[in-house]
Amino acid sequence: MKESLLDIVCCPLDKEDLELDATEREDGEVIAGTLTCTECGEVYPIEDGIPNLLPPDMREEEEAAA
Amino acid sequence: MKGQEWYQADDVAKEYDDVRFGDGGRVIDRREKEAVLSAVGPVEGKRVLEVACGTGRFTTMLADQGADIVGLDISREMLEQGRRKVQESGLSDRVEFMRGDASRLPFPDDHFDSVVAMRFFHLMDEPAPFLRELRRVSKDQVFFDTFNRRSARVLYTWLLPMGSRLYSEDDVVSMLSAADLQLAGEAHDFVLPYGFYRNLPGWVARAFRAADETVGRTVPGDYVASVSYWDARVPGKPTDADGDTATDADDDTTTTDGATTADDEHADATPDTDAA
Repeated sequence: MKESLLDIVCCPLDKEDLELDATEREDGEVIAGTLTCTECGEVYPIEDGIPNLLPPDMREEEEAAA
Repeated sequence: MKGQEWYQADDVAKEYDDVRFGDGGRVIDRREKEAVLSAVGPVEGKRVLEVACGTGRFTTMLADQGADIVGLDISREMLEQGRRKVQESGLSDRVEFMRGDASRLPFPDDHFDSVVAMRFFHLMDEPAPFLRELRRVSKDQVFFDTFNRRSARVLYTWLLPMGSRLYSEDDVVSMLSAADLQLAGEAHDFVLPYGFYRNLPGWVARAFRAADETVGRTVPGDYVASVSYWDARVPGKPTDADGDTATDADDDTTTTDGATTADDEHADATPDTDAA
């Protein structure tokens, strides 16, 4: 994802702003890191350049299935 | 859900485009892209969201036409294919992919000019909350397709690995009315179901498609169409009557918020209940 995506995305639960913590960047893109909701504190991972904004209940369901 | 699991399997994602849109499937691919472009285009400078974008077939096409687009899907495997495709075609500047749930979208109200959901509603047992959510993030248009209940699709669906929910026209009309959306256009196509084409060599598929189009142009052809495309609009928000609303939308995301959104407790939003 590009950092400019922060202007658009919000927390899927309460629609509040997200804060980026990038741990890996490449060619102006964020490859790994997290997005944290400034209101509820929910943390959303960025994996291989793709932010995972699935609500936590769907993420857990999927991890359990994997 | 059966459908979601099937679409998320890694091997399914890897071969998805080849198997489903190679050879005979190209007939389908072309028609679907045409349907999206004619309803959503021109997209130059427009903000577009595609939900259930999969490997980004439409996302890539719309970005190529100049849209600023977000492709959202639940499947990481599908999105990785999409990301690769977009990088290879040099469109990364205009495309973002992300994982998300279409009933709880990570976007503010009225953000996009158009929201596109192709091959999406047939996966949904309970479509209403999804349609409402698509409407929430769109300030003008929601475009989607359905597979029809009254067609050869009924038989075919029974054989599919991922299952399918089929819709009647009444189902769609009442879904739209419940989501407070207005129908601006509809198109019905493919008398023969997609799976029929997919298994044919390209030249045979094209011949059948010609016959299919001929039948489809008749009134009974419409009646047995297997796919319908629905172009819905958000009432009370800028319509595209004179076409220049999209361009002035990007100076400030919040200009029309509050004042013109039609969310005032549905005070006058229930005129269509007896239309079905």
